[in-house]
Amino acid sequence: MSVKQRLEEIFRDVFEDDELEIYDEMSAKDIDDWDSLTHIQLILEIEKAFSVKFTIEEITKTRNVGEFIELLTSKINK
Amino acid sequence: MNDTELRNALGNIEIEDYLGILKLGKKLIKTIKATEQENCIKIAVLGSCSIQHLVMALKVFLLKYGIQADIYQGEYDGIEMDVLSDDSDLYKFDPHIIILMTNYKDIKIVPGLFADKDEIELHLKREEDHYRNLWDHINERCKCHILQTNFVIPTLRVLGSLEYKYIFSKTNYIQNVNQRLLDAKPNNLDFIDMDFIASYVGKNKWFDYVAYFMSKQAFSLEVIGYVADIIAKMIAAHKGYVRKCLVLDLDNTLWGGIVGDLGFEGINLDPNDPIGEAYLSFQQYVLDLKNRGVILAVCSKNDLDIAKEPFLKNKKMILSLDDISCFIANWEDKASNLRQIAGELNIGVDSLVFFDDNPVEREIVKRFLPEVWVVNVPEDPAYYASALAFENPFEWSYITKEDISRSQSYIHKRQMTLSSLSYNDYNEYLQDLDMQATVKNMDTADFTRFLQLINKTNQFNLRTRRYNEAQIEQFRTDNNYRLISISLSDKFSEYGIISCIILKKIRNICFIDTWVMSCRVLKRGIENLAMENIIMSASEMGCDKVVGEYIGTAKNGMVKNIYTEYGFKPLNKTDEIYKTDPESDLYILDDLSSWTKKPYFIITK
Repeated sequence: MSVKQRLEEIFRDVFEDDELEIYDEMSAKDIDDWDSLTHIQLILEIEKAFSVKFTIEEITKTRNVGEFIELLTSKINK
Repeated sequence: MNDTELRNALGNIEIEDYLGILKLGKKLIKTIKATEQENCIKIAVLGSCSIQHLVMALKVFLLKYGIQADIYQGEYDGIEMDVLSDDSDLYKFDPHIIILMTNYKDIKIVPGLFADKDEIELHLKREEDHYRNLWDHINERCKCHILQTNFVIPTLRVLGSLEYKYIFSKTNYIQNVNQRLLDAKPNNLDFIDMDFIASYVGKNKWFDYVAYFMSKQAFSLEVIGYVADIIAKMIAAHKGYVRKCLVLDLDNTLWGGIVGDLGFEGINLDPNDPIGEAYLSFQQYVLDLKNRGVILAVCSKNDLDIAKEPFLKNKKMILSLDDISCFIANWEDKASNLRQIAGELNIGVDSLVFFDDNPVEREIVKRFLPEVWVVNVPEDPAYYASALAFENPFEWSYITKEDISRSQSYIHKRQMTLSSLSYNDYNEYLQDLDMQATVKNMDTADFTRFLQLINKTNQFNLRTRRYNEAQIEQFRTDNNYRLISISLSDKFSEYGIISCIILKKIRNICFIDTWVMSCRVLKRGIENLAMENIIMSASEMGCDKVVGEYIGTAKNGMVKNIYTEYGFKPLNKTDEIYKTDPESDLYILDDLSSWTKKPYFIITK
């Protein structure tokens, strides 16, 4: 599975929506449920699933799903 | 999520599964609207740091322990705001319980380097006054119970190892603040020992600096389960939802091995063996629990006498029969037995904690008695004590002398009444077993088993005569001897040959040379069947008297008086038969028709 597919699974799980499709420009304003609390939950799930830990800078500077996929891809390739 | 799904999810929730906990917490917020239910308690959570995730997790664990809660969530860093304003939302909410989630960073001023005792005392007084002020404010406006976290001693140790040595160090100061507040607390306040939880999970794991700087979390969300569980347990205990009784299995739980096979001396409690030591260590932990007021019960699949033997005769046992308030050993299912234990002790089934090494037994109890707390027992006995400690099912609000003496009184009550079932019940049970026996003259096919039983049985063994193959073969072909084997089956199992008898005809006397029985099948009436066959055989052999001898050993005390039970009379000697050794006891049945028949519920094939 690609990073995008794995990420999509996590999004579907967190937002409890099996039909959810993520896209590069997607960000918190695109989903009702995506508040700061859910954001923390998302980060935790992603960190666990990919066995990574994000830095403060990475969390604050990533503005949408596309940048997130890039970030993840580079982290797991390190 | 429907009710059953919810119950399953709650039952299976694991403290380490922080993602699962947060997911479930989120679901609960959506599906359960706070209602004015009768049992609903109002809990206010106030904190110096972010508490939203804690509230989510708390909902999960409160529900797990049977508590419906309506939760008021304070603002970020809002303790003073809510507590010190007369018309705050907190007081409008009128909570039953207020939880104060403090943080060590609340302590803004610490003693300077080289501060002396007097200067430190001024700092301590200031902290004490600060919190007394908060507590007084609360108690003037609420009739509630307060839970407050103590301070987790941080690991950013400026003095390094010298933090321990110098009284002015931040480490020692915060420790002193904790102690000071504990001494100063009002009666309606209990401290949550956060420093312990942090130590338990490891402070490296506890402190998550990214999470603190990003979203002001006091601790890593990975440990949210630990925190929520302890708080929920404390609240449940405060409400009186406590567990009182630890029900223990025996084989491979309190000792290594199966006592029915190995005998009370063969079970592993060897302090020089790592496995034996692990079991001893677990017994000690269980004894410590009993000494603080936890009631102990035993629920074992064993014959009662066999189950009790290690308690009575194995010197390595740490637990004694006197420590057990209710001792059940039989072949019934454990769910029924647990109900019986609860009934006998006059406590609810929801008061029981069940510890059994066998996952099948645990599953059965979980299924049929979901109110029982079933400990997740690890495979390795090395971890038995720590697994029980981790689950911490006996969280109480306080310990009193009455708690200790109450468990003692259960034990006294048990000792005074006759143990477990009445006579009639036991006979019904025996009938229910559908026992079938085959009694026959030993043939060559049974030779090995016959030999084995004679040579390895110690307890139900009248004369402990050991014979080798040649001797047995000699008896078998001698007309003056009868070799009888009894095999048994019941509705659970085939046991094969479980009793061997060697009879010797000496003129008109039938002498019982050997009588052994496997201890797996004691107290089932087989000895009564055996005696009946002994007398029948005596008659067939043309004898009109039967003589038996008991030669006492360290292990066969259980059969010391068995001949008198069947109406035999003590005998010094006859012309033909003498005591084998001066200490042995001889008995004679003068009249074959006048022996004391005893009932058995066994069909002979």
